[in-house]
Amino acid sequence: MAQESLLVSAFYVLVFTSMLITYRVLRGPTLPDRVVGLNTITTKVVIIIAIVSVLRSEYYLIDLAIVLLMVNSVGGLILAKYMERRAA
Amino acid sequence: MIEALLLLFGEAVMVFGALGILRFPDVYTRLHAATKCDTGGAMTILLALVLSMDASAVVRAKFLVLAFLIAMINPMVSHAIARGAYKYGVKPKVTVDMYAWDNP
Repeated sequence: MAQESLLVSAFYVLVFTSMLITYRVLRGPTLPDRVVGLNTITTKVVIIIAIVSVLRSEYYLIDLAIVLLMVNSVGGLILAKYMERRAA
Repeated sequence: MIEALLLLFGEAVMVFGALGILRFPDVYTRLHAATKCDTGGAMTILLALVLSMDASAVVRAKFLVLAFLIAMINPMVSHAIARGAYKYGVKPKVTVDMYAWDNP
């Protein structure tokens, strides 16, 4: 079935781009670079979870994706607040 | 057919966003690539998933709620990170810094 192979290829493309951004997280010159990389990787993981839930027809995984997105937003905001306070 | 096109478009946007994060010179341009490409690619892929799968209306509504939350949350976090990075002391590599005019 052509549809399923397309979804599997999307899964592998997302994993590949996450591994590209891991270089920026490990090697980033400053702290905001690492925060940007981690935020992007987590958004990609949310999409990977959505694709897996469609591939395996286990639709309860989408709730997990929504919760992961919200936790990521709280973590990003707290890291931004930390950088803002750290300056003074 | 339309869902395959949307899926390929979303994958292309994701790949170009990752290249931008790898290759751009400073934090703010990297943030530009990350925010626009990641949000747009994620919403496009979710729309393709909604169009392609065969499930009940409640499950499709959950996917649309996820796309809406990505559209609301991701730019907010990016704006907060940009503000925090400027306050943290990372200056942009530009000739004209208009943010410094308003916030001395």
